[in-house]
Amino acid sequence: MTDIMPPGLALKKVDERIMTLNVGPQHPGSGHMRIVVQIDGDYIVACDPDPGYVHRGEEKMAEYRNYITNVPHLERPVIHDSCNVLYPYVLGAEEILGIEVPERAKYVRVICSELNRCIYTMYWLAIYGIFLGHSTMFMWPAGDRELLIDLMEKVSGARVTHAHFIPGGVRNDLPANFEDVCLRQVNYFEKRIKEYAAVFYDNPILISRTRDTGVLTRENAIRYGTTGSVLRASGVDYDLRVKAPYDVYEELDVHTNVLKEGDSYARSKVPWLDMMESCNIIRQALQKMPKSGSVRTKLKPNPKTKGPATVYKRVESGRGSLGCYIVSDGKTEPYRVKMSVPSFRNLLAMPNLLIGEKLGNMPSVYWSLNYWPVEADR
Amino acid sequence: MSSDSENPATEAKPEEKPTPPKPAAKAEEKPEELPAFEKGISDKLVEKFGDKVQVDFVKEDRVGIKTSKENVHDVAQFIRDDLHYDHAESVTGVDFPADNEIEVVYHLGSYTESSLARQVLTLATRAPRESNPIPGQDSTKLPSLRDVFYSVEFGEREVFEMLGVYFDGHPDNRRLLLPEDWADLPPLRKDFAIKGR
Amino acid sequence: MSAIAPKFKLSEFIKSLLDNAFWTVLLASLIGLPAIQVVLFYIEMPVINGELLTPFLALTWLADPTRSLPILKAFMATDMFRVMVFPGFGFAALIAAGTIFIERKMLAKLQLRVGPFYCGKIEGILQLMGDGLKLISKEIIIPAKADKPIFWAAPVIFVATAAAFVALIPVAPGWVVADVDLGLLAVFAVIGFFPIVTILSAWSANSKFPFIGGIRALFQMVSFEIPLILSLLGVVILTGTLNLSEIAASQTNFPWIVFLPVGAIVFFITMLAELERIPFDLPEAESEIVAGWLTEFSGMMYGLVQLGTYLKLYAFAGLFVVLFLGGWNGPMVVPPFPEELLTGVQVGPLTVGPFPGLPLFDQEMLNGTLWFVLKTVGVIFFILLPRGVFPRIRIDMLLSLGWTKLIGLAFVNIFIALGLLYAGVLGPGGLQ
Repeated sequence: MTDIMPPGLALKKVDERIMTLNVGPQHPGSGHMRIVVQIDGDYIVACDPDPGYVHRGEEKMAEYRNYITNVPHLERPVIHDSCNVLYPYVLGAEEILGIEVPERAKYVRVICSELNRCIYTMYWLAIYGIFLGHSTMFMWPAGDRELLIDLMEKVSGARVTHAHFIPGGVRNDLPANFEDVCLRQVNYFEKRIKEYAAVFYDNPILISRTRDTGVLTRENAIRYGTTGSVLRASGVDYDLRVKAPYDVYEELDVHTNVLKEGDSYARSKVPWLDMMESCNIIRQALQKMPKSGSVRTKLKPNPKTKGPATVYKRVESGRGSLGCYIVSDGKTEPYRVKMSVPSFRNLLAMPNLLIGEKLGNMPSVYWSLNYWPVEADR
Repeated sequence: MSSDSENPATEAKPEEKPTPPKPAAKAEEKPEELPAFEKGISDKLVEKFGDKVQVDFVKEDRVGIKTSKENVHDVAQFIRDDLHYDHAESVTGVDFPADNEIEVVYHLGSYTESSLARQVLTLATRAPRESNPIPGQDSTKLPSLRDVFYSVEFGEREVFEMLGVYFDGHPDNRRLLLPEDWADLPPLRKDFAIKGR
Repeated sequence: MSAIAPKFKLSEFIKSLLDNAFWTVLLASLIGLPAIQVVLFYIEMPVINGELLTPFLALTWLADPTRSLPILKAFMATDMFRVMVFPGFGFAALIAAGTIFIERKMLAKLQLRVGPFYCGKIEGILQLMGDGLKLISKEIIIPAKADKPIFWAAPVIFVATAAAFVALIPVAPGWVVADVDLGLLAVFAVIGFFPIVTILSAWSANSKFPFIGGIRALFQMVSFEIPLILSLLGVVILTGTLNLSEIAASQTNFPWIVFLPVGAIVFFITMLAELERIPFDLPEAESEIVAGWLTEFSGMMYGLVQLGTYLKLYAFAGLFVVLFLGGWNGPMVVPPFPEELLTGVQVGPLTVGPFPGLPLFDQEMLNGTLWFVLKTVGVIFFILLPRGVFPRIRIDMLLSLGWTKLIGLAFVNIFIALGLLYAGVLGPGGLQ
């Protein structure tokens, strides 16, 4: 293993002008990862992302638990997007177990999924704000996020780790009077996030700081296999909710937000636009949802599969297309579970975008990739 | 392991793709009801490569292709250039100790070709497996697809550290997620057991 | 016998009493008496109201507190008082503490949260004290390869420099620690010292993030010093003096911001940059370079740097007030002191009083201080406000702002001042 040295340990002889910075893991601007950055003056000349500080072996753990008990731990990579991160696994498990999902459960899933997307995006936006030194934009989303967390608490009983989606539907029905409360909160939430434009998105300093930094062209966005808001900010109209709808997204009118610029400003704006779209989807789903009915197909605690199979299911999470590849060998535990997570895919764009940027642009470019280190590590 | 895959009734919904939806594709027993568009893709591959590729499964929105490690690079090139799949969504390694092989699965998708937006092509290939792995220096090697699909770069690095499959031609075969002093078996192999389970 | 002192012995008790008495007598005769003699023989006591201050006279203050007034006045006239208490360090530190409190609460209101709340019953007013105690009690960690003497000295020099800046600010007529004829030049000299302290501390820490932060601070301060100096030249041209007290006194009719708004704006922006406030807090940009040049400071060293920062903030706001907002000038709002706070009361055979007012400060000085503080707090408010509104800008944007736009505007300001002067509107023969 001589030629295979871990990043950071392979000390190469570099020019004396070059300074190597270990950004992270104990750095306020890194998240739970390390970026080894080499700078020449103020310019980044080399960048080596080093994730893995929060690797928890979710995929290995999933091989030891059955299809139901896998639910609570597979949502851990992104606890504030826990519904969406479970969604592909649940869809795949349903296909392997051969269960049908009641119609009302599909709508509940859509509502929870969109609420969770907003909860995630608000968290992301808060960190984006503080990365740019905008402390108001840290506090406002973190506070307004509570509106939706309260809703999810009403639905699932837990504030963050819901474990609400299970193979066969959702864990329990919506509480009484939920539609009114949800509509009210979501309307107020939408009004609030529109106010962010005044303080953040239309802020001249923010625009001059993030415009034309870290430009990801359309060709490169496709080549690096980026996904979600990063892809849509580069002008690729690709949203799985529209392109490959799952559950009941087909019956809902989903608008895809696409920006052409591909710079960090566009990448930071797309999730914000997506939140408003989510509010629309929630309102539509509340309207079209069957008013009563079962939300769950009953399963045995240790359900039997229908024999060997492989499935690959994708959903659009808060960060982008999230796939789950399940290999079943007919036993009650999955043979292999692979989460194809958007953060891991977007990570590939980071070194390519950061090289040539100024050090001051590092936080804005890095976080505009809609990257959540824990998810990338799994 | 080759799949049969009943089509789940959960996904019984009207389709908007050019082909009419097919409710079931029982690949093993009654292969006559394959969805046409997906069948077309697999047919193109079979036509080009003959028996070098095996069609693993053809079902709604999913095509599964298996090929040997010698041909995987050519097949990938064909998939990119002629079938217009332009990125890899994930690279998955699956350990099969019973066959003494490790399967590496590429999930390929397309952003540019709108008719392929729903599709995921599963390209699988297998590398020999050794019971005493020395990652990078034993026979568990595969050609890297990084020069075909740039987006597999980190995925292949992950497969290398998690299963010990060395990718020839990969420019950066280093650890990605595991600790720098990891000296155990590659953890996603089946003989790496979790304590207490 | 008893549970309180089971081993009580009368002899021991008497011995302890005698011990105490012995030590008291010994210490008093060996230290106390010589000390009194030293005071009596060698220290020159002030002459108050024509009579020498003797210990006997001091004892009579107990009977009549009004007699202590002259000695208080004499003390307030000393340089020590001015440096330590009123226009100097104590006053500035008080305003700095108030600034921190206002900053926290105001920012919290802006961001829809509560801010400090529990420490000290009323709206967390003692939070700063708690933070200070925490910083004092923390361990000071010095990086292993740091240049230790310089690293230790840097926070102290920083506070000293800030205090030197504070010393130059006139608060009320005649109330300034150092009334220098070339006061504004002294201000420029002191401001020029800050980047040196910063780069010294950053370099001596021998760590990468402080180094980058120090370099950034150096860039920022040096490039903003030029527009800062240029923007103040307009005032100097119109007043014809560099003495800050005279500049403040020249604004009895109107503050200079009326004629030199451009200079005031340029000075305000450069002030934000010199203070490393958001949006110019690049030297401490936490998401890029941890805490910039403060990264390696811990415990009270960090506390000292923070104290220096807020003293500097007060001094800059005070300078803005003195130069552009008329300093202490304002309408007289403080009522004149009554000669007697309470007239004498006849209680039987005794006459109590009359109680005098407290003529320690005269009316003019109190009024000047009031207006100065009001204006300074207003300026500080506007310095704090951008923190809730703006993100941080980038170093290249900052430098281009400083070197091109602000310098250009500063020259515009100078031409405005010259135009006013030569047109005879202001200056000799003009309004003044």
